[in-house]
Amino acid sequence: MAPKNTFISGRTGRGAAYVSDASGASHDRFMRLTARALLPLGLATAWLLARLTGDSFEEARAELERPFPAVVLIAFIAIGAAHARLGAESIILDYVHDEALKQKALVVNTWVTRAIALAWAFAILLIAAPR
Amino acid sequence: MAQAETDGATARRPLSPHLTVYRPMMTMAMSMAHRISGVALYLGAALIALYLLALAFGPAWFSAFSWIGSGLFGHLILPAFVWALFHHLLGGIRHALWDRGLFMDPKGRELLATGTLVGGLALTVATFVLSSLAG
Repeated sequence: MAPKNTFISGRTGRGAAYVSDASGASHDRFMRLTARALLPLGLATAWLLARLTGDSFEEARAELERPFPAVVLIAFIAIGAAHARLGAESIILDYVHDEALKQKALVVNTWVTRAIALAWAFAILLIAAPR
Repeated sequence: MAQAETDGATARRPLSPHLTVYRPMMTMAMSMAHRISGVALYLGAALIALYLLALAFGPAWFSAFSWIGSGLFGHLILPAFVWALFHHLLGGIRHALWDRGLFMDPKGRELLATGTLVGGLALTVATFVLSSLAG
């Protein structure tokens, strides 16, 4: 998160400088918690994606219709998208200095990560749901 | 990397250390690779979501988007995604070890950074070899 409180610097005078908004610890905890969950999920997802490579329509459907791959892939994208959102947020805060553009980029990032997770999970549900 | 966002004349200050005068080393390279692989996973996940949607909607949709999973592109994108996944995963383990104060000495940290690179590549190759053997 971008710092919100203004700070009067001795060197630069009045203006916004880098001031802690005390969100660092919760950011760190969230990234490490999700990373722990993504370790087994990422290994399983890597295996499933390797199996999908080069598959025809029928082969890919048969692969993903089974419950284990479906559940793993949905859990991976649910947690992975949250992890990716915060990771990309750090990148935006590091490189985008224009205040208006920064705020836009943060909103776009939030919605893009949500869209990816929703599209991915919705697709798996359509493929794997019993009918 | 962080530069103070100040307004006006005082902003013209030299930045140091900067990439051009910094001796390249493995830990720095793997730090950058961690961020780059993170971005690659972000973009790759968007592509794979498209692929999965096409797979869900039926053969006509799938034939339009099957290039993500098969053909020349499929054999580049998916292995690249899996590599980025392993690389980022090992980078996370590297940070978890450093958090605990392990491998912080000059030899240890270079070993860990090299291990991220070699391990990521090795795991990717092993995964694709095993999955093709499993059929």
